[in-house]
This record gives sequence, C-alpha cells and structure tokens, in this order.
Amino acid sequence: MKEFIINTDEIANLISSLPADKWDILAPAKDGKSFDYVLSSDKPIINSEAPPSKISFKEYFFPKSETLFYYKREANEISLTEPKFAEKKLLVLAAKPCDAASLPILSKVFNWDYKDEFFNKRVNNSVIIGLSCAYSDESCFCTSVGLDRNNTKGSDIFLTPFNDKQYVLSVVSDKGDSFVKEFLPNLTEFTGTKETKEFIDNKPFDYKKTKDWIAANFENKIWAETGEVCIGCAQCAFVCPTCHCFDIVDENCDLNCGRRIKNWDACQFGVFTKHASGHNPRNSQEKRYRQRVSHKFDYYYEKFGEVLCTGCGRCTRGCPAGIDIGEIVFSISNQ
Amino acid sequence: MPDLIEIAKGLLESKEVSFIIGYTKDRFGRVKPYIAKSVEDANNLMFDHHSIHNLAVYLTRLKIPENGRVGIVAKSCDIKAIIALIQENQIKREQVYIIGMNCSGVVTHSTDEWKKENIQIKCKYCADKAPMLYDAVAGTAEPFEQPDDTQEVLMQKLETMSSAERWDFWAKEFEKCIKCYACRQVCPMCYCEQCLAEKNQPQWITTSPTPAGNFSWNIIKAFHMAGRCVGCHECERACPMGIPLTLLTRKMGMVAGKEFNYRHGMAIDQPTLVGSYNFNDNEDFIK
Amino acid sequence: MNIYKPELVEIKDIIEETPDIRTLRLQFKNPETQKAFAFKAGQFAEYSVFGEGECTFCIASSPTRPEFLECSFKMAGKVTKAMSKLNIGDTMGLRGPYGNHFPIEDMKGKNIVFIAGGIGMAPVRCIIWNVLDLKDQFKDISIIYGARTVADLVYKNELEDWKKMAGVKTVVTVDPGGETPDWNGEVGFVPSIVEKVSPKAENTVAIICGPPIMIKFTMPVLKKLGFKDDDIITTLENRMKCGLGKCGRCNIGSVYVCKDGPVFTYTQMQQLPDEF
Ligand SMILES: Cc1cc2nc3c(=O)[nH]c(=O)nc-3n(C[C@H](O)[C@H](O)[C@H](O)COP(=O)(O)OP(=O)(O)OC[C@H]3O[C@@H](n4cnc5c(N)ncnc54)[C@H](O)[C@@H]3O)c2cc1C
Ligand code: SF4
Ligand code: SF4
Ligand code: SF4
Ligand code: SF4
Ligand code: SF4
Ligand code: FES
Repeated sequence: MKEFIINTDEIANLISSLPADKWDILAPAKDGKSFDYVLSSDKPIINSEAPPSKISFKEYFFPKSETLFYYKREANEISLTEPKFAEKKLLVLAAKPCDAASLPILSKVFNWDYKDEFFNKRVNNSVIIGLSCAYSDESCFCTSVGLDRNNTKGSDIFLTPFNDKQYVLSVVSDKGDSFVKEFLPNLTEFTGTKETKEFIDNKPFDYKKTKDWIAANFENKIWAETGEVCIGCAQCAFVCPTCHCFDIVDENCDLNCGRRIKNWDACQFGVFTKHASGHNPRNSQEKRYRQRVSHKFDYYYEKFGEVLCTGCGRCTRGCPAGIDIGEIVFSISNQ
Repeated sequence: MPDLIEIAKGLLESKEVSFIIGYTKDRFGRVKPYIAKSVEDANNLMFDHHSIHNLAVYLTRLKIPENGRVGIVAKSCDIKAIIALIQENQIKREQVYIIGMNCSGVVTHSTDEWKKENIQIKCKYCADKAPMLYDAVAGTAEPFEQPDDTQEVLMQKLETMSSAERWDFWAKEFEKCIKCYACRQVCPMCYCEQCLAEKNQPQWITTSPTPAGNFSWNIIKAFHMAGRCVGCHECERACPMGIPLTLLTRKMGMVAGKEFNYRHGMAIDQPTLVGSYNFNDNEDFIK
Repeated sequence: MNIYKPELVEIKDIIEETPDIRTLRLQFKNPETQKAFAFKAGQFAEYSVFGEGECTFCIASSPTRPEFLECSFKMAGKVTKAMSKLNIGDTMGLRGPYGNHFPIEDMKGKNIVFIAGGIGMAPVRCIIWNVLDLKDQFKDISIIYGARTVADLVYKNELEDWKKMAGVKTVVTVDPGGETPDWNGEVGFVPSIVEKVSPKAENTVAIICGPPIMIKFTMPVLKKLGFKDDDIITTLENRMKCGLGKCGRCNIGSVYVCKDGPVFTYTQMQQLPDEF
C-alpha cells in the first residue's frame, strides 16, 4: 500500500480545487445538533473523533427514491425512456470506516446474478476517502463484525491522523491511486509508523458463532423478548448503511405520463410481506424483528459470506424504543 | 409514599395486572421501555428524567386481554395520552392500572444531562408535574429550571412570515423526510389498524419519499392530529431527520384551545372535539 | 442494462375464465424479443400496467408454444384490478422470466400426477401442456383439479380436451355445495379426491399447487400413497417486488423465493423456517 503524508491545508486545497462542474463533495458537517453527510458544505468537518452521522451515506448510492424509467402514452402507444444519470463524480471525504465498508457489502446483493446498474454506476462514479475513527460509544461494535477503526474496506483512499496538522494518506484501490495521481501529485511519501487509538468493544461477539445460534433458533423466546417493545418503524433500516430493501411503485404525472420508482422499504413494516389476500407470513412484530436480526447476522452471511452490518450503532442510537441490536447479538453470543 | 417497585410487585403478585409497561435501564444505564411480567421483573423497573418515552403507545400496540388489566408507568404528559385513548374508546378505564409518576422533567437522549438546556419544552407547560388520573402514585418531583421555549420563538417567526415563505419553510423541512413512519409508530394517538398511508385503493398518499409524497404524508398526519394531539413530542423525538413536527400539531392544539376551549386528554368523560358538535362553536377559522 | 425496465407486450386475446379470473394472451411488441424470449415451465414474470404498478404471475402458457405468453390472474388488489379493465390491443409491460423451474428433464420417463386447486392451476397448466406436448417422453399422466364451485373452474375447454386424451386421466372436482345440477364431475375436496383416485407412487412425480390449506391436507394423503418427499413438487408464493433477488421482500430464511424458487420439492420446503 502506498502511503503519503498530507497536510490539512492540502486537503482544504483539494476541496477548493476540484472542478465544481465535475465533482460533488460529500463530507460530514454539523447540522444543528447532529452530524450529517452534507453535499458541498462550506464547512466540512474532518475529525476522527466526530460521532457517526445520524443517517448513513447510502442515500448517495441507493437513493431513498430513484426513478427507474419514465413512461409516456400517446394514442395507444407507450414509450419508455431511461432516467438521466448524473455525470458528476462524487468524492466522499472523511467517511467513517463503518460507512465505507457498507458499499462492498451492499454490492453483493446488488450484483449477485442480476446487476443493479443504478447502484453500480453510482459506486463507480465515486471516490471514497475513509478516515480512521477515534470515536466510540455504547452503541457501536465494529470490531465484532470483523471491522475496526482503521479498516479500509470500501475506501479508495484512507486517512489516518498523524499529528494536529497532518494525516497519513494510504492508497487503497486503483481508483484511489488514479485520483491521487491526478489531484494530489505532489505528496511526500510516508515511511514512519502510525499510531491509532484502541477500540473498546462493549459488546464483543463472534459473528460466526452467533450465526449458527440464530440458524438453529428460529423458534426461541428471545425473539418475543426483543421484539415486544419494537414499535415497527423503519428508523433502524433507513439510517442503516447496509439495509437495502425497497419497494417499486408507479407515480403518474398526469393520465398519460409518469415514472416507475424504487423507494426505500423495510421489513419492520407490517405490510411489507402482506399478500393481497390478507395472508401475512410475518404477522407480528416479533417475527419482523426476528427477520431483522436473522437477515443481518444469519441469512446474508449464509448467502453472501458477509454479515449485513458494519457495527456502526446508528439503528440503536436512533431507536425510539431503545432497542440495541448489538446487545441482542451480544446476548446471543453468551447463550 | 410506596415506591414504584413495591407497587409493581404487589400488582404482579396479586395478578391484578397481567403485565406492567414501564421503564428499565440497560447495562450501560440507558433507559428504555420494558414489560415487567413477573415479580422478579418488577425489580428492573425504574423511573427518572430519562424516562422520556410515552408508553401509552403500547396500550394499542400490545395485546391487552379484553377483560384483563395491565399496569402502566406514566408521567403526567403520558397520562393525557391514556385519557385520550379512553375518550376515543380505544381502551377502557378498567383495563389500565395507572402508576402515576411525580416527574421532574425529562431530557431527550440517554447521554443528555438533566439541566435546563436539555429539558423538554413540553415540561415547561406541564401544569403541576403531578399525575391527574391514576390508581397509585410514586416518585418525587424535584424542582428544575424551566427550559426556554425555543419552539414558541420559532412559531412566532413563522406567524410573521408570508404564506409563500411559510410554504418554503415547510417544503425544506418535509424534503428531508425519508418516510420511515417513526412519527406514526411512536405516536400514542396513531393507532389505526390500517393507516391511510398503507391504502392503495384509492391511493390517498403517494408513498414515495419525494417532495410531493412527503408533503401529503406530513400534512395528512398533522391533520389527523387536529384536536387529538396530546403534545407528548414523541414524533419529533423519534424523527431521524430532525423535522420539527410538533410545531404543526402544537399550533393546531392552540387553535382548538382558542376556538373551542378544548384540550384533548384532560377528562375521560369529556366528548372529543372531533366527535362532538356545538352550535355555539366558533367557525371564524374557516375562511 | 436496466434490469427494472420491462419489455412492452400487447394483449392479443382475453379469456374470462371465472367471475374474477382472467387469462391474457400476450405478445411482445418487438418480434425479435418474442423470438428470443425463452423460459421454462414454472418460471414467473413481473407484469405491469403503467401508472398502476407491477405484480407477479407465473407464466401459464407452455414453453413448447413460444408464439405467445399467457398469464391467468385473480382480481386481488390494485394492479390486478387495473388489469381486469384492459382490452385487446392494450399495452402492458413484462419483465422476466424469473426464478427456477420444474425439473422437467428429471421427470422424463416417469408417471406424472398433477394436482391443482383454484388459481393454483395456472402454473400447473404450464407444465401440463409442456408435458403433453412431449407426451411420448413421459409415462402415465393424471390431472386432478378442484375449485370451490363449477363457476370457479379455470381453463374449462382445456379440461375437456385433457379428458379426451389417451393416456391422460383427468378428474375434476368441486367443493361440496359448489356443484350445479348438470355437473358430471366429482364432488369433494381435493385431498379426498386424490385419495379416491389413488395414483400409484412408484416411478411417479407429483406436482401440486393451490391454496395452503389444500396443500396441507393433501400432503399426508400423498405420503400415505407412498410418495417420497423428493418426488412431491410445489410452488411458493411470497410477496414479491423485484423478482431479481434484491428488494428483500420474498425471503424465507436465507432462501429468496424469487431466485431460489418458486419451485420447491417437499423435502426443501420442510427445511425452510415456518414463515410462509
Ligand atoms: C411467484 C408468484 C406467482 C404468482 N402467480 C400468480 C398467478 O399465476 N395468478 C394469480 O392470480 N396470482 C399469482 N400470484 C399472486 C399475485 O402476485 C398477487 O395476487 C398480485 O400481485 C396482487 O397484486 P395487486 O396489485 O392486485 O394487489 P395489491 O395488494 O394491491 O398488491 C400490492 C403488491 O403486493 C404484492 N402482492 C400482493 N399479494 C400478493 C400475493 N398473494 N403474492 C405475492 N405478492 C403479492 C404485489 O407485489 C403487488 O405489487 C403469484 C405470486 C407469486 C409470488
Ligand atoms: S427496532 Fe427501534 S427503530 Fe427499529 S423498528 Fe423497532 S422501534 Fe423502530
Ligand atoms: S444494523 Fe445497526 S449497527 Fe448494523 S450497520 Fe445497520 S445501523 Fe449500523
Ligand atoms: S434488516 Fe430488514 S430492512 Fe434491512 S435489509 Fe434486512 S430485510 Fe431489509
Ligand atoms: S402527534 Fe406527536 S406530539 Fe402529538 S400525540 Fe402524536 S406523538 Fe405526541
Ligand atoms: S419520523 Fe420524520 S422522517 Fe420518519 S416519516 Fe416521520 S417525518 Fe418522515
Ligand atoms: S422479490 Fe425482490 S428479492 Fe425476491
């Protein structure tokens, strides 16, 4: 891995020098009380110690609402047209490792067999600069799902703070390499050693073992216990970097035109699996909560060899009912 | 005064209630809703200024036996929701055993300190912090410094705006909505078996989280709260996008108060505003 | 390629099967697409009415008759209601074919028993014609079909055709009380009719589709007759949206019904968590 030293003003320079007609910059910024990824913010915050944004950056790769195609009816003829795709590239600056890692995880479901070009185009069109993380609270558990503070999974370039004014910039992918060559050609190579903060995992578990337990315990009182206070919103799924469920609906502009759209959806909604006949395979919140945990820690792993969770803790921080998914998996690991 | 755990134990031991909806602390000290089903469970119950959740929501979410009774730990503002549910015939008075809590104001996040800046605005207006309908009372209310009503400031600002500006303000706020429906799910007054947002024949609400779809959802949700919102602020707390949802419901509540001298959730035998008509009703607001 | 964009199809014919079931005969607007469209019996597709949305139906016509595609649907909700108002010449959208298929190659050289109830006949009809069109490659064929009432029977003409075919035993039944005065078929629920017909299990594959309750009560009958779990094949219907293994809606455990199904053997079905 090639490593360079980069100064904070070189980063500021990069931000101001990227041609605005070709690049959008997405970076954390403070919006009221909470952090968020903000597009073209004039005050991006590049700070390892900042908490994770309230909602992940997946919206920029898998938008909350995305047009699949437009249709138009003229006389009795129907024509379909493709949506226009933004030509601009996206630079994500200071992505948390637990956000960056979600892209290769999501890529599995969006590319097994059929390829979702909407997701792929957006990912291919972006460069992710990850930033080593020095934050932690009761909700996160990235080390339990095979990640860590300095994990470069999903990043093209990775920054590790070196001192107050400098970062070590590691080139992770070919895409990152071309980006550095094009926009940061004059960096000095780094040869020293980096120091990073240790992560205290509050809820260490072995995800391989918990997978086996979940697979063997479809019927278990734990699901009723954890699901009973869940109120069945989709806060957890929508703030989550790895949840990828969606709905497909049509929206008319008038009688003769409209579009088909893909909208975020979530397994916590009662209508998610309800048939037109009224039959519902997941007819209680317990079953729906079981699906959430099982999909993340068993089904996805079974199918794609990855846990559908980066341990970012967002779902927990925002849950109106105080449900902590990490605690549930942690308690499973202690069964 | 007997404490919460003692009361709860007694109720569960005598089987007077089948379970108690209350609060507990997890091993990190974070407060969360909890269902106590046994005398041992009762030991886990607690109440403090982090007990922000309005547990009345569970009265319609959980299965309550038709002729059975359940216990609920409720602070003054939650009791309004319980009363409102009784007024709206969603539960019967006999079905709930209310353990009213003397409350010292609540703060939003588990990490928030109990101090002026963090205390909920609703607590400022909570008449005497003492439960108004209960079967038992527990806890002690400590005096606290009243929070500033930043919402009122914002409301006044909105009042002075032109309607176009106001529209822009809301358009910008609603634009953020991701249609997670946390505001609906957490609301004790949203209990419809099938929400209008889930009906597709006809489709009242565009389901997409687009500007148009969000407007229809947020406005319809607010309208359905007219004269029914009990001001618990749970929707706003739950909203991951930080949309100031209670600005709308509070304004409507104020209209109901001013025009009809009505407040929801004040007395179980009072007819609801929406469910009653009075010839003397002021209709000035219909313009 | 935009995997969500359907191809345009034209409605060439409409058959009103029952008061709430219709069969549409569809043909791709683009003849090249029609020629290139290949599918296997048991697969499904996503059909769309632009402005209303998409819904999932199996392909009810046989791959041995590739000039057109047919689907039979029951009026259930938004899209099916819109589809019930369409006319010949109207345009729809179609994506597919998706999912796995009946193991027709493995069925060759064997006796086949088809058991269907109600609209569950749609996927079965596809494989019936597929088998009948290649009849010399199979042994004895039995068809047992039941509906609630005489009026609810689908493919009425075809049922008559099958009855007349040599080497095909066709038994049609209606639920008690669903018969008309001139009804000459059986009266009784599908499970008891299967017991009465009593097909032999030796070297036989059973394909069974219908309402869950029918399947539930027919299984023990088949077991009693000596059918092995591997030789009983059925289809599952979970709510679907994408049909592509992406939208996350159709899973039963780690199985995506839209990709790993909808066709399952009874052995496979028993390994799934009980959530369908
Ligand atoms: C693999 C498969 C094959 C099917 N084959 C047939 C068939 O041949 N004939 C037939 O009549 N029906 C079939 N169904 C059921 C059919 O898909 C639904 O009846 C139909 O989607 C209802 O759509 P709607 O828009 O009218 O109803 P709405 O309730 O308005 O449907 C809204 C959405 O719910 C989904 N949905 C509703 N009910 C069901 C259901 N029972 N199963 C799956 N998804 C559902 C659809 O995706 C639809 O987009 C099949 C389902 C599956 C999964
Ligand atoms: S776990 Fe929490 S956020 Fe998720 S659906 Fe349940 S209540 Fe909502
Ligand atoms: S499930 Fe929760 S902790 Fe895991 S990735 Fe999603 S939001 Fe983060
Ligand atoms: S947890 Fe639920 S919403 Fe998230 S990806 Fe899995 S099924 Fe979808
Ligand atoms: S609308 Fe909001 S403030 Fe009003 S009752 Fe519902 S959750 Fe509480
Ligand atoms: S909680 Fe907020 S984001 Fe979610 S649906 Fe309600 S207004 Fe929209
Ligand atoms: S229908 Fe979308 S994943 Fe199966």
